[in-house]
Amino acid sequence: MRYCLLGLLTDVFVFVLGFLSLISPFILPQARNLSSQTAAFPIMVSLIIMLCLLIMVFEAQSSLLDSKMIAFLAILTAINAGLRFIENAIPGPGGFSPTFFLIILSGYFFGSRIGFLIGAMTLFVSGLITGGIGPWLPGQMITAGWVGQSAVLIALLVNLLGWKDKAGEIILLAIFGAFWGMVYGLIMNLWFWPFLGAGGGQTFTQTASDLENFQRYMAYYLATSLFWDITRAIGNVLMIIIMSKSVLRIFQRFYQRFSFQKQEEIVQ
Amino acid sequence: MNSVVWILWLAAAMTFLLTTRNPFYIAIMLAGLFSLGRRLAKDRNINPWVLPNLRFLLTMILLSTLINGLFSHTGNTVLFIVPRSWPLIGGDITVESLVYGALNGLVIGALYLLFNIINLALTTKQITRLIPRAFHPIAVVITIALTFFPSIQQRAREIKEAQMIRGNPMKKISDWIPIMIPLLVTSLENAILLAESMTARGFHKQTNLQSPRALVSLILAAFLIFSGWILHMYRFPSLVFISFYVLGASLVAATLITIGKRANVTRYHQETWTKTSKFSAVLIGIYLSGFAVLALTGRLPTLGFSPYPQLNLPATQVLGFTFSLIPFLPFLVLHHD
Repeated sequence: MRYCLLGLLTDVFVFVLGFLSLISPFILPQARNLSSQTAAFPIMVSLIIMLCLLIMVFEAQSSLLDSKMIAFLAILTAINAGLRFIENAIPGPGGFSPTFFLIILSGYFFGSRIGFLIGAMTLFVSGLITGGIGPWLPGQMITAGWVGQSAVLIALLVNLLGWKDKAGEIILLAIFGAFWGMVYGLIMNLWFWPFLGAGGGQTFTQTASDLENFQRYMAYYLATSLFWDITRAIGNVLMIIIMSKSVLRIFQRFYQRFSFQKQEEIVQ
Repeated sequence: MNSVVWILWLAAAMTFLLTTRNPFYIAIMLAGLFSLGRRLAKDRNINPWVLPNLRFLLTMILLSTLINGLFSHTGNTVLFIVPRSWPLIGGDITVESLVYGALNGLVIGALYLLFNIINLALTTKQITRLIPRAFHPIAVVITIALTFFPSIQQRAREIKEAQMIRGNPMKKISDWIPIMIPLLVTSLENAILLAESMTARGFHKQTNLQSPRALVSLILAAFLIFSGWILHMYRFPSLVFISFYVLGASLVAATLITIGKRANVTRYHQETWTKTSKFSAVLIGIYLSGFAVLALTGRLPTLGFSPYPQLNLPATQVLGFTFSLIPFLPFLVLHHD
């Protein structure tokens, strides 16, 4: 119980710290100071995000204690990383990506730790394969991890409402998928935006009010990524509505098969 | 070259790149990065390397110039005026803001190139090996995922072909169910086999590396670094925030090392430290510490350059030119190896 509490506190701490550093230019006037902020600002944010990721992964890896869980997580990660390449194969415009749907479903079914690991590992493994290691990776990993981790909230809600195996379950998941389709883009933008204007002050202006900065951000967001995010959200909803029922059934079946226990040796 | 040396090189090149805005230095860096990347890509038989990256660099410069030019209205040399009543972009369009945007684009492009080269230089195996021992279970998961990835791709292709032969048009998302489900089932079936064979080979139980104390100290370290960053922004004396940074970083290192010692790791085919690797590690170490000493004592020449308020020619120093030669260092080693 105490351990569970520590895990929960860790999640909250990491979320607050990561979120604070991402939105720091909005809330701290000093963070938008022209002269003191060189390009080091986005790198510092990336570094803090990386630390957050380190903590989360360290916390979550306690669920990987036996070979079954390791094999299961590895294979699911490999499938999901592979889906990222089918992106081009499944017809869909813009930011449509079939990976999120598996991340959400595994977080929903197997709990927050596995959800987090699947999200983060998928991005890492596909980054390794495509040669996409870079300062953007920690941000992507932690956001995808949050997608999987927060899916456990839907599981709690479904249990609370007693909607298991009903249409409501799928609808809730679809809404959740739409939500994260939009928010993922929003968070990734928050991270990339200061990069574009590091030190230049054209993105965040110290003299401008918070509201004005927010307006600027929104303009940038609307211009560059809204279309991407909407297609991603729609893609998530479609994938969840069409596929989640059968995928959840498979998860159910393999969950039972994976939960065999090694029998303790009989002491004579 | 040893992977640790590559990471050191990355750190050195990135430090310099992030502190400078001087177009001359960045140009030298870019020339070095492009020739190094071309050399590495040739070794790996990746043929068009320079052109796509050049295209990316130009796109980045164009995008950044456009955004900065439209949003930032400082600078003395006004080109033309966008009506002030236009929201957000209304105001003067100045040469200075365009130049600043282009410089920004150059730095972003160079950063991207730098990581692109690291991806070329290090194999996936080397990168996986750089994962600290404290994350042993995660490293195992990544290794297995990377190993199974090609066979899963192959299987996906086979299932897709089989479905197409059966007349699946592959147009709607629902047409993908007959691919997705068999792929999941067969792959998870593989996972069970793998788990059983791991158990049979004595991999059943992993050591639990988790401990509340380690978790708390990692959280504390993150908090220390975060606070150091905030203090840095509010211009507290450098001694204060640097001690925060150092304390946080050493706490992270100490925790990871202590935890890592508890993991049972067997390593085959260890990377060797050749003489040239050692030499270049020492060289980069001198470079980094020299940079740090100069920066902390305030004797670092102004590497930055700002076109505001009036565009002028950036000043250059010999030291800056010396620093910007860092991308050429691996050439010496590659030539020697």
